[in-house]
Amino acid sequence: MKRLRLSLRLGLATLAAIPLVSCAPVHVDSYVGRNVDLRQYRTYAWAAADSFSTGDPRLDNNTFFIERLQRAVDDELQRKGFEVTTAGQSDLVVHYHARIEQRLDSSDFQYPESQCQSGECRPFIYDAGTLLIDVVDRRSNQLLWRGWVERGLEGTIDDQARMEAAVDDAVKRIMARFPL
Amino acid sequence: MRSTVTVVAMMAAALLATACAPMRVSSHVDRAQDFSGYRTFDWGPADALPAGDPRLERSPFFQDHIQGAIERQMAAKGFERAAVDGVPDLRIHFHAVIASRLDVDELDYQRGYCPGSDCRSGVSEYEEGTLVIDLIDARTNRLVWRGWSQGSVEGVLDNEDRLVRKVEEGVRLMFVRLPSPR
Repeated sequence: MKRLRLSLRLGLATLAAIPLVSCAPVHVDSYVGRNVDLRQYRTYAWAAADSFSTGDPRLDNNTFFIERLQRAVDDELQRKGFEVTTAGQSDLVVHYHARIEQRLDSSDFQYPESQCQSGECRPFIYDAGTLLIDVVDRRSNQLLWRGWVERGLEGTIDDQARMEAAVDDAVKRIMARFPL
Repeated sequence: MRSTVTVVAMMAAALLATACAPMRVSSHVDRAQDFSGYRTFDWGPADALPAGDPRLERSPFFQDHIQGAIERQMAAKGFERAAVDGVPDLRIHFHAVIASRLDVDELDYQRGYCPGSDCRSGVSEYEEGTLVIDLIDARTNRLVWRGWSQGSVEGVLDNEDRLVRKVEEGVRLMFVRLPSPR
């Protein structure tokens, strides 16, 4: 490596810095069913929470987390013209799923001599949180649309204000992909 | 002789590295809730969720220690246990979980060695315990406060003394964050 030209080394250093800039990478995506036209639906209701653990006991059955999430989704759906109504009578059913898992990020392994701006040039393990929102046709039980966000969560759950901001941000990003 | 001392020192360092990582404590609160009206508490229904470790599930000592620690902290904050036939202001519920966590060893990439001479290369695994304590408004049945403490339980689960001390410390630090009734 010592023989490399300065320009090449700088280039490598820059490349290595890029994954670290997004040290808490946010990944958003969505799926829409074939021939789905959400304009024919008017009302929605929340499904009962599923019984799966989020993988983190701090979030399981955490009213503050759940209500913040539901309120953020309610705001977005209502802004798009949907009305919330009683379960069992709505056009649509909305589910959410939240999951936290550890991931290993080793994107820096290939550049052991690079100069990273934050000084954190090493493989690291982080908590990856995934939030998923499903919108289902209540009568046909067909999944009409699914949106999800995955992001790093270091220090986010322990700080209530940060958790709330992360939830708001995640819902905003997911619902930005809603086809209406 | 020197090599034995080095080995012992390394083992000690390894134990310290995991066991001495600081406990993390935090909480969430219902900010709209006025805590000044809460005076009495009682225990909520037993936890139906699995602890993740049969040593916790089967141990009456563990449950006892946690309950004792919580009752002492509640008393210290000015709460009283509700009368046997009375309705408490708050119900307390706790949940303890043990989970395997991964950690990546600290490598000094500049100099190519591990600080503390304790370099197991790659990813290591340790057991982390989390204790979650919920305070529920008995009238509205809503969660008004949740506190937790998390930390490594390496070498702790099989040692009742250490377990008791960790529980006490965790509960004490958690309750610092609970709004007092007065």
